[in-house]
Amino acid sequence: MERRSFLQALIATAVAAAAPGGEALAAGRSSLRYLRPPGALREEDFLKHCIHCGQCGEICPNRCINYFGLENGLASIDTPYIIPREQACILCMKCGEVCPTDAIAPIERELEAILSGVKMGHARVDESLCLSFQGLTCGVCYRACPLPDVAIYVARLEQPHVTDECVGCGLCERSCIQLPQAIRVFPEYG
Amino acid sequence: MAAPTATTEPATRLRRFVVWRQLNKLRWLILVIVFAMLVLLPLLHVYQTYTAAHAYDLLSPGEKQLYDVMETIAAPFVSDPAEDLDAIKGNTWSGSFWGYKISDPLAALGQVAAGLNLYWPFLLTALVPLLLTIFFGRFFCGWICPATFLYELNSNFASWLRWAGIRVGNRRFDKRIKYGVLALGLILSAVSGSVLTGAIYPPAIIGREIYYTIAQGGLGVGTIFFLATLLFDILVARRGFCRYLCPGGALYSLLGRYRLVRIRRIVETCNDCAKCNVVCEFDLDPLRDGFGQECNNCTACIAICPTDALTFTLRPRDYPEQGPGHLGRHYRGDGEAPGEADAAP
Repeated sequence: MERRSFLQALIATAVAAAAPGGEALAAGRSSLRYLRPPGALREEDFLKHCIHCGQCGEICPNRCINYFGLENGLASIDTPYIIPREQACILCMKCGEVCPTDAIAPIERELEAILSGVKMGHARVDESLCLSFQGLTCGVCYRACPLPDVAIYVARLEQPHVTDECVGCGLCERSCIQLPQAIRVFPEYG
Repeated sequence: MAAPTATTEPATRLRRFVVWRQLNKLRWLILVIVFAMLVLLPLLHVYQTYTAAHAYDLLSPGEKQLYDVMETIAAPFVSDPAEDLDAIKGNTWSGSFWGYKISDPLAALGQVAAGLNLYWPFLLTALVPLLLTIFFGRFFCGWICPATFLYELNSNFASWLRWAGIRVGNRRFDKRIKYGVLALGLILSAVSGSVLTGAIYPPAIIGREIYYTIAQGGLGVGTIFFLATLLFDILVARRGFCRYLCPGGALYSLLGRYRLVRIRRIVETCNDCAKCNVVCEFDLDPLRDGFGQECNNCTACIAICPTDALTFTLRPRDYPEQGPGHLGRHYRGDGEAPGEADAAP
């Protein structure tokens, strides 16, 4: 469950030391699916700005912000990430307030500001997994969404449909009662 | 002759510097406070998340204990912990106090290298430490750095080892190696496009690792690096990392090259006992007026000097070597030192 066990770090360091220097340095995308905190710059600019101080995680009241070791490459070391299925963002916008470098832009906690400023990712429904699409009315994701009827609306049998307004906070993925989850947030960095 | 004045003069000097002799204790107090804050802030953060979630009844017994202790500590200062405790966040790498943000100059420099542009809103947060460093030199290294706290305890540990008959390292290297490490860190940042100076900089690592340990459920990669530096200090060179490898130390040495506040030796009172050279963690040479840009004004030499021959001065450069102190002068037969009267009978 915990990604940051000491042994893991030890192995990761050994691997990083053994890997050819160029490869370890490359900021190349790993296969991990993670989100950056709300208001974060695009991935490349984010890495250029972030000084890895850890204040975003330290102010996060939801403790959804974790920090990379070496599993996402050397360039991502000690940068914040969110795995929505483990703990999703509640859009409190405190991390942008405390960020000293504006790698996470300060955004007011208002509907308009969040809709225009936050783009962590975009949720997608897997209709073959979603209970509502199997005829069992569920609607949990719709009720978990902080922007109901803006980012997500439900049709017949509580079938969820995500709109373009979705900011990708991941609360729907966190709350999905299916295993594996039928709604996932796909990050929009790049 | 001038016998009466000669006997009274050291006594007046002693009174004059009585406060400065205590500065080393004050420094230790500050180091302990900084370190304790680095432990307390993540604990308060965890407590804050519990209050934000109104989760007291759901906590395990251990978590409840943490909640109660933190509530006792925080209660006199805050009315709404979930919001009010946001006032102080961060660590010595970058922190915020009631909205005022302050960052390490090395973080600013690393960011400039990573992005190859100047982002002023952030760079300005490093302005106050920068000005203080230009004025006081490497004061951060001696007075604030949480790694220094552990490194000094570590070098005490090494002297116990030495006392027990175990050989500890006392090699010497070129002090300029650390400028190479600084350059390497900046080049790495520029090549990778990520601020990597913080990954090889112990105070930043310690702030992060304490936070990871308390609030993120485990140690991170940096711990291995830091343990390696502790071993380096024991096995290879006393305070070797700070003196030869630390990129932050390199930056502050450069910034503090013409610092105004420095320590000087009063040659008339110095009795050449060389205790200052022994106690100096950075292996400087106060006995021969050799402080240089490495000196972090830690005042350990002032505290140990038996004759109060070390004091502060405001000068952009060190005094040139003043020669041996009054005993040496007496034996050389210069005969000008006030100590002459003492030695005459």
